[in-house]
Amino acid sequence: MKARRALQALLLCGVVVACLLAPTWAHAADLTVWHAYRGAEEAALREAVDRFAEGRGHRVRLVSVSFGVYDSKLETAIPRGNGPDLFIAAQGNLGKWRRMGLLVPAGDVSGEHRDPAIEALTEGGELWGQPLAFKSLMLIYDPEVIDTPPRTTDELLALSAALTEDGRYGLVYEAGTPFYHAPWMHGFGGAAIDEMGEPTLDTRAQVDALTFAAELAALMPTAPSADRVSSLYTEGRAAMIIDGPWRVADLGRRVAAAPLPLVSPTGEPARPYLTVEAAFVAARGQDPEAAAELASFLSGVDGAQIRQEVGRQAVTASRVVPSDPILQVQLDQAARSEPLPTDPEVQSAWEGLARALRQVLRGTVLPDRAMAAAQQHATVLRRPPPPPANPWPYGIVLALLALAGLGALGYRLRDPDLRRRMLVHAPDYLWIAPAGLAMVVLVVVPFLTGAAVALFAHHQGEWSFVGLAHFIDILLARDWPITSPMSFGFTLVVTVLWTVSNVTLHVVIGVALAMLLREPWVGLRGVWRALLILPWAVPNYITALIWRSLFDAQVGAINAILGLLLLRGEALQIDWFSSFATGFAANLTTNTWLGFPFMMVVTLGALQSIPRDLEEAAEVDGAGAWQRFRHVTWPMLMPALLPAMILGSVWTFNMFNVIYLVSAGEPDGSTEILISEAYRWAFSRGNRYGYAAAYAVLIFLVLLFYSRLANRLAGRKVL
Amino acid sequence: MAGVTLNGLYKRYGSTSVLEGIDLDVEDGEYIVLVGPSGCGKSTLLRCIAGLEEITAGTLEIGGRRVNDLSPRARNVAMVFQSYALYPHMTVRRNMGFALEVARRPKAEIREAVEDVAAMLDLVPLLDRLPGQLSGGQRQRVAMGRAIVRRPDVFLFDEPLSNLDASLRHHMRVELKHLHRRLQTTVFHVTHDQVEALTLADRIVVLHQGVVQQVGTPRELFDRPANTFVGTFIGSPSMALLPAVGAGGTVRIDGLEGELELPGEGAMTLGLRPTDIEVGRGPLRGQIEVIESLGAEALLHLDLGPDRKLVAQVPEPCQAQPGEVVSLLPRVVHRFHAETGERLP
Amino acid sequence: MARSPSTLRVVLTHLALVVITLLALYPVLWVVRMALSPSQQFSSDPTLLSGRLTLQNFVDVIWTFDGGYWLFGAQLFNSLVVATATAGVGLVLATSAGYALSRWAFPGRDAGMSAFLVTQMFPGVVMAIPLYILLDTLGLLDSLLGLALVYATTAVPFSVWTLKGYFDTIPVALEEAALLDGASRWTTFTKVILPLARPALAVTGLFSFMTAWNEYILAATLLGDPRAYTLPVVLQSYVDDYGASWGHFAAGAILVSIPVVALFFALQRYFVEGLTSGAVKG
Ligand SMILES: Nc1ncnc2c1ncn2[C@@H]1O[C@H](COP(=O)(O)OP(=O)(O)O)[C@@H](O)[C@H]1O
Ligand SMILES: [Mg+2]
Repeated sequence: MKARRALQALLLCGVVVACLLAPTWAHAADLTVWHAYRGAEEAALREAVDRFAEGRGHRVRLVSVSFGVYDSKLETAIPRGNGPDLFIAAQGNLGKWRRMGLLVPAGDVSGEHRDPAIEALTEGGELWGQPLAFKSLMLIYDPEVIDTPPRTTDELLALSAALTEDGRYGLVYEAGTPFYHAPWMHGFGGAAIDEMGEPTLDTRAQVDALTFAAELAALMPTAPSADRVSSLYTEGRAAMIIDGPWRVADLGRRVAAAPLPLVSPTGEPARPYLTVEAAFVAARGQDPEAAAELASFLSGVDGAQIRQEVGRQAVTASRVVPSDPILQVQLDQAARSEPLPTDPEVQSAWEGLARALRQVLRGTVLPDRAMAAAQQHATVLRRPPPPPANPWPYGIVLALLALAGLGALGYRLRDPDLRRRMLVHAPDYLWIAPAGLAMVVLVVVPFLTGAAVALFAHHQGEWSFVGLAHFIDILLARDWPITSPMSFGFTLVVTVLWTVSNVTLHVVIGVALAMLLREPWVGLRGVWRALLILPWAVPNYITALIWRSLFDAQVGAINAILGLLLLRGEALQIDWFSSFATGFAANLTTNTWLGFPFMMVVTLGALQSIPRDLEEAAEVDGAGAWQRFRHVTWPMLMPALLPAMILGSVWTFNMFNVIYLVSAGEPDGSTEILISEAYRWAFSRGNRYGYAAAYAVLIFLVLLFYSRLANRLAGRKVL
Repeated sequence: MAGVTLNGLYKRYGSTSVLEGIDLDVEDGEYIVLVGPSGCGKSTLLRCIAGLEEITAGTLEIGGRRVNDLSPRARNVAMVFQSYALYPHMTVRRNMGFALEVARRPKAEIREAVEDVAAMLDLVPLLDRLPGQLSGGQRQRVAMGRAIVRRPDVFLFDEPLSNLDASLRHHMRVELKHLHRRLQTTVFHVTHDQVEALTLADRIVVLHQGVVQQVGTPRELFDRPANTFVGTFIGSPSMALLPAVGAGGTVRIDGLEGELELPGEGAMTLGLRPTDIEVGRGPLRGQIEVIESLGAEALLHLDLGPDRKLVAQVPEPCQAQPGEVVSLLPRVVHRFHAETGERLP
Repeated sequence: MARSPSTLRVVLTHLALVVITLLALYPVLWVVRMALSPSQQFSSDPTLLSGRLTLQNFVDVIWTFDGGYWLFGAQLFNSLVVATATAGVGLVLATSAGYALSRWAFPGRDAGMSAFLVTQMFPGVVMAIPLYILLDTLGLLDSLLGLALVYATTAVPFSVWTLKGYFDTIPVALEEAALLDGASRWTTFTKVILPLARPALAVTGLFSFMTAWNEYILAATLLGDPRAYTLPVVLQSYVDDYGASWGHFAAGAILVSIPVVALFFALQRYFVEGLTSGAVKG
């Protein structure tokens, strides 16, 4: 019988391990292609790839990688040999990829292509990807409302003004996003960076473009999101939108398109950024030749035909005749556009430009001031990493520290009593060894690696040792005044405020509800309790996204509900993410909603162990309800609540999801907390991993200090 | 079955010393009761014997074998905890059979052993219940049963009756006595209740601050307490201690009139038991302060003089009135050394 | 209760409960409504009753294929396996550690306890890159086992903390009794302690399960292959910058939430016991 048990256990283990490893077996293919397409474009790609595979007997796997992590995945996977053979992407990061050695030259051009496809993919005299399709913004309009689209910006303004009345709009577009502002920027003669990669955001042309955008925005709902833009069009409340061909399928309504108008003051066309989607052969792939073949096929006439028909792409192949007017417009627009710069430096201009745009559209800052600030922002971000430091002193200090640590340990071990006790308790250590080992390997080692990274700078795919320079920059607020949302000090204050207000609200609401729910005369207590812990049960990224949308200025239900409650007869128009106070309030609301059930449950449990007679005794002594709570119940809840509060505050301090998904730092990064700021430095401000790691180390130190302080305040070891 | 010998047993926790050199020789089958005030080290001693605590110094032998370094299970002792420590998630049956289950005895054997003991303790109808579904007395019996099923060499009972109410405690006392007669196994029974000690014990060990004060049969302890501590600890109501001075065959209590005819010279302490005092005649005089009636007897609380109090037990009905002054004759007087408190010969 | 409360108090209390519960449920009901509505856009209508209802979103989300390979099924399976493995690994690691920390005064115990809690302070998302490199070195990239291990380590400290607190409430006398009954440490642990700790194990297991079931940033970074994706990664991609399909997102959200919500309700009677004993004893 024992043997059978053992056999069963063994079998179970086998099955579990097999399950856990299963996805690794799925890799059996000759060629792996990564893409981020969805819907029709994905279907088109699949069909084209199948066609290719039929002829050659290759097995090709299409892997749809999530758009949000596409770049960082490429950058981590390819150098380690885990990447695809071929990947499909826009040309924007070409410069960086090339510098990081992620690419293999594409070889010969596959047939004829429209301009500027080849040019956009050529660097250093070599072609790096086979061009597939153009994508850029264009003017999309409702043919039922507009017969002839505007040719100039003056016409556009006039038409927009004429069509804007009672909840209908002439023109709506995502005005707060640099990508959507770019046409005006270029049309007025500006550019994000010059040939040297220096940001050029504070020029006359930039200010003019921004002033013009503000004029357009005055005729639009505040800060419309992409969702809002398309839903307004769908509802027939927007006559024109500026958007890309990728949006057309979602609109669910007849559309016509035209190239963007000429900018009246300059007479130049409004030139949007053009992305040239291309198939890139990855370095370290298994079969670069086959990958190159596939790339040529996709790019060439046969592949392009399929992509145009099935995926409705504006293909670059010039021998393919566009099959409908919208594709034709897209191709026309491509001819008067600005290829997205492949210089990674342009990244540093985006964030500042975005902030300037939003400030001006909100009307809080004048265009010239805003652009000056944006220029300043971009200049700081663009600054090269700190100068390399001499690693020797650090190595010596580190070695000394390690030696001192070992020495201290050895010194303690000289105590024979300690040694004897350790020997007696030797088996005890086996019991914590598995957990301890796992923590060391999977938490401490990565963290120490991360901490070591803080001593290096990562810039454009290259590492250099800079010592403590990051820490000095961060702590001395060298780049930004301490009052700027970008400074560590400012974010730290916000984080502390965030933590304190959250934990306070969690405790107040949780305790209050628990006090209500324990009254024996409350009906359906179990039901209330079950419903009230629901916010805790639903995955928090889901609810965070929902809350973000509920707080949306136009689509959001919060404004609508406030409108109803305040008897305005219509939704309020509060743009929640336009000021620190409201943005913070939105984050706080979300996290309070997420966090109170935990405190409620802890309190309910603690209340069970507090005998009611104590309160009854106090009542007999003449204590009022508040006094009873304050002097009897609360002190007895404290022992249970205190550890929960301290642990809760650590969690809140690092509550990345809510900040990232709800306010995303808006406005101007002011509602960012330390961990989300660190994430931005690592993943959206040019992958400054070293700088981000320095943030991580500082976060850890702050929390460590806090826990020591908390222990002291609590008078016992709670953390 | 085995005798137990403790030889200079010490137990220290860091710098605090709990047991200070316990010497004890227990014969096979003896019922030993350990008494002493709370915190004197009774439980610690029991736990040292069980092997739950490491012995700091000295030797412990069970059945003639040194067991200091043996694990509890190798000592073959069974313990009943004050809290009973029944496994809450196991039925009474499994609780009782757990030791045998752990020892991998055949199922049938376990079943038989459990049912035998259950029959002995009237537990048969409770066998399939969980401890949570039992009353205090039932739990106590299950705990006993669990110890018995194993047929250990030594039973260790740590205040087994203290969680029961008075009548149940009395009942269980009797039952324990029966059981012991049937099983004839060595028992160490810890209690701070001297009635329990007097009724159950073959021999009583009085412990105070980690030191054995006296070992002896209940009679010996009652009749010839080795020191003032044992004198006052055993017997209820307690013995009164009065300072006195002896000279030439008589002893006089400090600050009082009247002399007692007793041997001894110089300062000493006299111990007078309430049961040994005759009221109505004698050399001492005292004023009745309070009369406590206990039904068959009454306790007279007497004031003999400043700071000199005495209790006398008289049969009911008692005619005396509070405030009355009566003469008193101590029939038995225990004499102790004035400083050391040791019994004087 | 000898006295019954005033009617006003009863009414006000229930009113407060109704309002707060509605607030707590509103976003959840909103998801339900979006999932059932045919539009992919985020509606601005604050009322929860929408016009046409359809299950199309659920069908779209469930019926996803990667060349004959049922993606949703695979992803659901992945999520289940990762979450179960996380809970399993987490419990195995945390239970023995929590027990040792609760019971035995070995040198370094306090330091060990602190060390476990200190790891809660490591900023998780920032470690994605080092973790990627580490898992790659261990050859566990793209495997659910690697992901489960990573999740387990974030779940372990909390589990150790909760379980230690719960073990502290189990009387030591039970173990001593077992010891005298001849049980070894291990037997005592498995036959006496673990059965008694079931509520705490259930709660702890559930939290570990949830850690894994709900996480997406690390999953998105560490898993390269859609067949290896867990559901949160898929869900997230429905509303990324590429374009938002709220209907699909909502339908997926409901599918993802159902198992945890069900487990939550099934185990909630253990919460109070399992969590607070940990909290009280710290
Ligand atoms: N683990 C321990 N550490 C330090 N002192 C202890 C420990 N266990 C018991 N003691 C001390 O030993 C003394 C005797 O305790 P115990 O044997 O339980 O007394 P009792 O006679 O009431 O059963 C007490 O003063 C107690 O404080
Ligand atoms: Mg005791």
